[in-house]
Amino acid sequence: MLIIDALLQGLLIGLLFALVALGLTIIFGVMDIVNFAHGEFLMLGMYAVYWTNYFLNIDPLLALPVSAALGVILGLASYYLLISYLLRGPAIAQLFGTFGLMLFLQYLAMFLFSADYRMIERGFLVGKSISFGPFVFEATKLAAGVLSLISFAVVYYFLYKTKLGKALQATAINKEAATYMGIKTEKMNAIAWAIGGGTVGIAGGLLVNFYYAYPMVGILFVMIAFACVALGGFGSVKGVFFAGLLIGVLEMIFPVFGHLVGSDFLGPHFKFTVVYLAYFIIVVVRPQGLFGWKN
Amino acid sequence: MEKLKDAFDFSDFSRSERIGFIIFTIFLFIFPWLGVSSFAKTVMIQFMLFSLFGMGWNTIGGYGGQVELGKAQYVGIGAYTVALMMVWWKVPFWISMPIGVLIALGYSFIIGYPLFRLKGHYFAIATICTSLVLKDIFDNWALVGAAKGIELPIHDHPDFLYMQFKSDTYYYYFIMALFYIAIFYMNWFRKSKLGYQLRMIKDDEDAAESLGIDIRWCKIKAYSIASAFVAVGGGFMAVYNLYIDPASVMELSLSIKIALMAMLGGAASMWGPIIGAAFLVPLDRFLGSWLGGHKGLTGIDYMIYAMLIMIVSAYQPRGIWGIIEDLRKRGK
Repeated sequence: MLIIDALLQGLLIGLLFALVALGLTIIFGVMDIVNFAHGEFLMLGMYAVYWTNYFLNIDPLLALPVSAALGVILGLASYYLLISYLLRGPAIAQLFGTFGLMLFLQYLAMFLFSADYRMIERGFLVGKSISFGPFVFEATKLAAGVLSLISFAVVYYFLYKTKLGKALQATAINKEAATYMGIKTEKMNAIAWAIGGGTVGIAGGLLVNFYYAYPMVGILFVMIAFACVALGGFGSVKGVFFAGLLIGVLEMIFPVFGHLVGSDFLGPHFKFTVVYLAYFIIVVVRPQGLFGWKN
Repeated sequence: MEKLKDAFDFSDFSRSERIGFIIFTIFLFIFPWLGVSSFAKTVMIQFMLFSLFGMGWNTIGGYGGQVELGKAQYVGIGAYTVALMMVWWKVPFWISMPIGVLIALGYSFIIGYPLFRLKGHYFAIATICTSLVLKDIFDNWALVGAAKGIELPIHDHPDFLYMQFKSDTYYYYFIMALFYIAIFYMNWFRKSKLGYQLRMIKDDEDAAESLGIDIRWCKIKAYSIASAFVAVGGGFMAVYNLYIDPASVMELSLSIKIALMAMLGGAASMWGPIIGAAFLVPLDRFLGSWLGGHKGLTGIDYMIYAMLIMIVSAYQPRGIWGIIEDLRKRGK
């Protein structure tokens, strides 16, 4: 029973992980850049909803467009002000550049909002729970899972069914060939960053309903997102969805497993250690991930 | 003997570089006697410590071109070995430090073997992961003090065996000795066979492979050298601070700082890591003490720091040394 419950909880949180990792994988696919600041976009998305809720007293779920918009703006701003310059340099400079952005946003948040832990207190769903038979779910987590799934589906539809999305896919598969077909790479890059920022902004808005917002929250989730992206295969959208679910389940099941075995060493402190280890093992054993096509 | 000659042979540097190096050496020697404050002395010690870290990183990260972001775990291994052996068995620093280096070497081979199947982004993230796993373990391992860390026993009298002194000046000269050993080693390293092989690998892996270079083995060797350097620094940190915890010796931000200083100064150059540390350590410390004191200004120092990183990566990925070289070329 405990295991099935953990499985369901894991799937729910996994949907959110998938949404967090989606932007990372799209950006990686289109332009071969790893965005270390992705977790900080998430963090600012969390704050956006938190403050909207705090000052305007708007329900956190209705405030989602604010965090989505902030994410899109952040994505576009980073692309035009930083990434487009970094692209000229070597790979190491790109890594450090996004690292710099990560540090900058972390300490900007520290400066603006202080290091306090903040969580939404007022909201339609906050503190409520819904039960299905023997399984009890927190309403906020359930809403986060469902809305993550919807957001993911929308982006998926955009990528695979619309002309612009297909152009984006083409750029990811072969940049040069896409240029010959008259696709403007510059524009595609910007779109990838806008989608990446927007989706992670929404994820942040959903996350803040049941998780504390603080300036350093991003690093944890960006590592989870890296594990998802690696497991799904760098650049694969389908892969990242299943990888997100898998990592979510892994993260939830592990402490339960430890509890059942009765070992303290498998306690909940280590649930994220497992994620890091998972990343390491995945990339070493199967670098292309589950559905990867980029090597 | 040949090797030793190579280490002390600076003849391929320009005249101005050699003169600068000598003046710099004299300056370091007399610095503690210039009547400086103890704060300035700690900044200098930090500077030399981070130069040591940066030079170590430079072997794999600079000459080898691998983005390595997990050096903090080896600082931790070095520091914890010294601290634990001192607390548990009263082992003197001069024995425990080499043991720490050996453990770091062994560990780096074990980790390095799977790690160097990877390249580029995959590699960079994997190095972060390995470092975080080790930190998580130390954070929760009661035997080694968990997140509380461990305090080293303080002796009543200064003790050379345990590296305990009343005045920072002794530590200053000790780290300075390590710093110069590192410089001479790097001077040898860049001219060694491995040094050339690494640069070849950095430029073109396929070409290097077709010339019969065992790429993976070369990278592992360089990675282990880097780890040994860093573990020495870690051991020093333990006896200098007399207190270590996972947050101070294994944090991700330490790994990043190490790589960053080398990269900001100029990766794959002899003076790059030193210049980077000379620039960032004082900036870090002074900004921290000026701004950190004012309430409501916390974080500004790191924002300035981060801005610098972004500007350098966007405009001059070869770092400060790259700028100097460009200016020189223009001057000619």
